[in-house]
Amino acid sequence: MVRMNEARVTKLENLAPRTGSQDQGGTAAAQAIGRALGAHYSDLVQAPLPDKLLELLARLDDEQKSKGSRDALG
Amino acid sequence: MPSADFKDELLGEIRNLRAFAISLSGSVSLADDLVQESLLRAWANSEKFQPGTSLRAWLFTILRNIYYSNYRKRAREVQDSEGLYARRLTVPGDQESHLDLEDFRQALTKLPAEQREVLTLIGASGLSYEEAAAVCQVGIGTIKSRLSRARAKLVELLELDVSSHESVERKVRRVG
Repeated sequence: MVRMNEARVTKLENLAPRTGSQDQGGTAAAQAIGRALGAHYSDLVQAPLPDKLLELLARLDDEQKSKGSRDALG
Repeated sequence: MPSADFKDELLGEIRNLRAFAISLSGSVSLADDLVQESLLRAWANSEKFQPGTSLRAWLFTILRNIYYSNYRKRAREVQDSEGLYARRLTVPGDQESHLDLEDFRQALTKLPAEQREVLTLIGASGLSYEEAAAVCQVGIGTIKSRLSRARAKLVELLELDVSSHESVERKVRRVG
């Protein structure tokens, strides 16, 4: 996860303006934003899934398994 | 019936899909409805997915279309994502620099939706410019300019100093 976030930071960093004395400052600001964005988003990605979605996944899984076993029999 | 591989890949994308849905709608409950509807649609249309392309981008496109067709009005009324954010309030950075994550989230909410969306797609979800352009149904130039404006707006809102590297670090420490 940390490595992924670093990759994201690098990507945003590439957007920093590359002009004269602004270069380093732009990059540092982009890095700070990239880190914050990565942390913000990883909170969202890691948030526990609600029962409703877990149940849906289980249902899709069952549906496929029963289809799979019918194929094997047929 | 989708293949077992397709199903596994789909399952692997659910958390990212949900994160995108929360970013888009600003609401956890709407996001869960959106993800559910998107998964069912993806499942029913699995043969339309082109192997070798990004499943994430394909799912984001489906979810985004559903959102803009059916959910956008409701989303303005329900904003309940704050509860998710209790866990971590600061972002550890290089050495001792920190940016207050709550400030950052506040700043994100002040961006135009189209700019926040592009930041989420490219900066956070790892989509390429091409993939983000396909998801948003605009050109790559538009994606790049939205991203650049989003970044400039965040710099302004967070009062990040872009005049020199050192002053940014000082500012970031002060904020933290």
